[in-house]
Amino acid sequence: MVLVSKTLQKLINALLSIFGSLVLVFCIIYMLPGDPVLSMLDPNTATPEAIENLRKELGLDQPFYVQFADYFKNLLQGDFGQSRITSEPVLQKIIVHLPATLLLTLTSMVLSVVIGVTFGVISAIYHNKWVDVIIRIIALFGISMPTFWSGILLILLFGVQLNWLPIMGSEGWKTLIMPSLALGLVGAGFIIRMVRNSMVEVMDEQFILTLRAKGISERIVMFRHALRNALIPAITVMGLHIGELLAGTVVIETVFSRQGIGRVIGDAIMVKDMPVIQGVILFSAIVYVTVNVLVDLSYSLVDPRIRRAH
Amino acid sequence: MMGFKRSKSIFFTLFTALILVVSGCSQSSGTNQGAQTSATDNTSSNPVSGGELSYALATSPDTLDPHRSGLAVSVRVFRTIFDSLVVQDADNNIQPWLAKEWAVSEDGKSYTFKLRDDVKFHDGTPFNAEAVKYNFDRILNPETKAGNSTALLDPYESSEVVDEFTVKLNLSTPSSSFLGNLSQAMLGIVSPTAAEKYGDQFGKNPIGTGPFKFVSWTENADIQVEKNSEYNWGPTSVENKEQAYLDKVTFKIIPEEATRVGSVQSGQVLAAETIPPQNIVSLENDPNTQILKVNTLGLPYTLFFNQREEPWNNVDVRRAVLQAVDVDAILKTLYFDTYERAWSPITPGILGYDEKLENSWKYDVDAANKLLDGAGYTIGADGVREKEGKKLTLNYVDVSPNREKRNDIAAIIQQQLKKIGVDVEVNITQDYLTVIYQNADYDLYGNSQVNSDPNALRSLYHTPPENITRKGLGGTSNLELDELLEKGTVESDPAKREEIYKEVQKIIIDQAYVIPIYVFPYTVAASKKVDGIKFDALGYPLFNDAFIKQ
Repeated sequence: MVLVSKTLQKLINALLSIFGSLVLVFCIIYMLPGDPVLSMLDPNTATPEAIENLRKELGLDQPFYVQFADYFKNLLQGDFGQSRITSEPVLQKIIVHLPATLLLTLTSMVLSVVIGVTFGVISAIYHNKWVDVIIRIIALFGISMPTFWSGILLILLFGVQLNWLPIMGSEGWKTLIMPSLALGLVGAGFIIRMVRNSMVEVMDEQFILTLRAKGISERIVMFRHALRNALIPAITVMGLHIGELLAGTVVIETVFSRQGIGRVIGDAIMVKDMPVIQGVILFSAIVYVTVNVLVDLSYSLVDPRIRRAH
Repeated sequence: MMGFKRSKSIFFTLFTALILVVSGCSQSSGTNQGAQTSATDNTSSNPVSGGELSYALATSPDTLDPHRSGLAVSVRVFRTIFDSLVVQDADNNIQPWLAKEWAVSEDGKSYTFKLRDDVKFHDGTPFNAEAVKYNFDRILNPETKAGNSTALLDPYESSEVVDEFTVKLNLSTPSSSFLGNLSQAMLGIVSPTAAEKYGDQFGKNPIGTGPFKFVSWTENADIQVEKNSEYNWGPTSVENKEQAYLDKVTFKIIPEEATRVGSVQSGQVLAAETIPPQNIVSLENDPNTQILKVNTLGLPYTLFFNQREEPWNNVDVRRAVLQAVDVDAILKTLYFDTYERAWSPITPGILGYDEKLENSWKYDVDAANKLLDGAGYTIGADGVREKEGKKLTLNYVDVSPNREKRNDIAAIIQQQLKKIGVDVEVNITQDYLTVIYQNADYDLYGNSQVNSDPNALRSLYHTPPENITRKGLGGTSNLELDELLEKGTVESDPAKREEIYKEVQKIIIDQAYVIPIYVFPYTVAASKKVDGIKFDALGYPLFNDAFIKQ
């Protein structure tokens, strides 16, 4: 029962966060400089009447709170509005492009975890040896290198010089390798650091000493006991990092000419296509919040103490 | 612990491998340069039919409806799908295309076109006088939400279908640029049946009479067109008037420069447009690629003084800045001399372009300083000139994103003008519509335009009409210039027009209303396997003659 009510509370929190981000995005877009109506008409030929008519048609002559209420009402009915440029329904645009972005985000996340945990563990085992130093330098690179930069380096190496991998496009699994690597390196860097540090800490704990004293093999001590304890902070980092991954797709999808929601919002911002911007941000917020709820719930799987505390 | 030792050696091996690969990169780029002499140019080979050309575009078209579009990138695709009534050749003469011949009425207010009777749209709809009438009336119809085509079609009023293949177009006033504008792809002829059927979604389902038929458009990925095998009405601007050699053209949308260049270098696409200057030289030296370059026609990239306010309403002050901007240095630093310098408010190749303006003034800091001294501006303690307690500042507004490195031009000019004591404040904005055209809150602002006729000068240099909300660029108001520009619009004798526009250019430069900077070259990097890509009068690519060598 306690677990159920806790879960329910988390869900309510999640909905509130989504609503909050909705309000925030609406405010920011409302306050953006520039008149969306002027950018839609040809300024050479537009008459003042034409401008006013279009403003009315879009409901942009209404006060802020009316505009928001209208938008929110439509949202509840599943109407995300239409693109002001192509008059396509926003929801349809998102449904078409979201899967590609989710796939990219997921593979980058998997890559981050695989690279991050592997190197993190190696680094912890060789704590303060030269292997550890090199891995830490690699992690530092991963964290500090902007994704567009590592993306271009990958293109030059594996695309142009070696010609092993396709440089652009979203067809086939091969096109996924370089973008997810470029995007995943940042997360990998963070996870390497998290896993290494928490493992080094855990290794000093008395229960590890006890395990070793009992003569349990080093491998079991490492992977069954130390790593498991070290994973909790790594999972938290991953949950928070999903936001950065989603934001990173804006850049990475453009660099690798992939289809996806990041590219859609990038283009929409360029032409001030407000309904599209709002729709995509709302969806990203939903994905972000959902993942973090899942992360919260997954703690209890990894750590029995949290489960019992409920 | 044995396992860990092994992983140490694996790690070491990987690390060494990485270093080898990276050093391999620098070696192979060295060989590329060495091989340049062995590269041979086989431009004279015979066309081969078949194959697919992949062509990377830098940005995505806004729509494939030529009447609604407002972007140059869309025109690159339009030219495959749509034909026009007439075509403009390299010498600015108008030649027949879908129209066989035409006659202009005495008063210059109506054009009667005899149309080809053997042309069909891709959907089978016959091309005839009704179709032409439908097209131009469609642009006038506010429901179409027409884009740039509206301005191009001006002063069109109505059409009359004389017989099945004769159509008469009526204008409200005579216009010498009208015929030339009809050659532009944004006034291309669309299928009336398809336009009715798809309504505002026609831009996703374009149908014309062009050498290629639309196949698909996957947003942010590619646009595919395939050969129209019935085509045999090619314009004079291409050699192959029959069906195209290529089976298919795929326009790939690759916004990132490095990716676009890399995709040609690796052979993953056969051609890519808009090559950054820093890559042009290295691609020219690459044995597998060639660079195609054509200067775009119209108004070059030009910096406009906002002449509405002090001190920029003073010709001496403007002249001083004009002479203190070292354009050659800018072109060398930013574009490695791959862009040509502009000397006139119009580009070479436009009717009336005055070559005499080339080198007609020199970069001369001393002369500039003298002009400012004469205008009463004295150098203050901080090195900035001032007059009656007011500092000589220049609010230089430019647009983000940094297209063609224009923001960097602003930064260089900021440095250059320090030499004459002008304090330049650079403001980069995304919202140029409000800053420039609504509030006119700037002293210097740059702009360029693709166009085929010198009449384009009118919208920028003529005193703006009252009924339009937009504030004209520069705010030039010169009665003599107004009169000449009005004459230029209606004069039908090309020789007289040339004289008029030479005079116009002279006034604009003498008055230093603007600082012309560069003529934008449209650049394409293509694999040496590709041959026959041509460019029309405005600098847009044509694929009628293109083929892929075996």
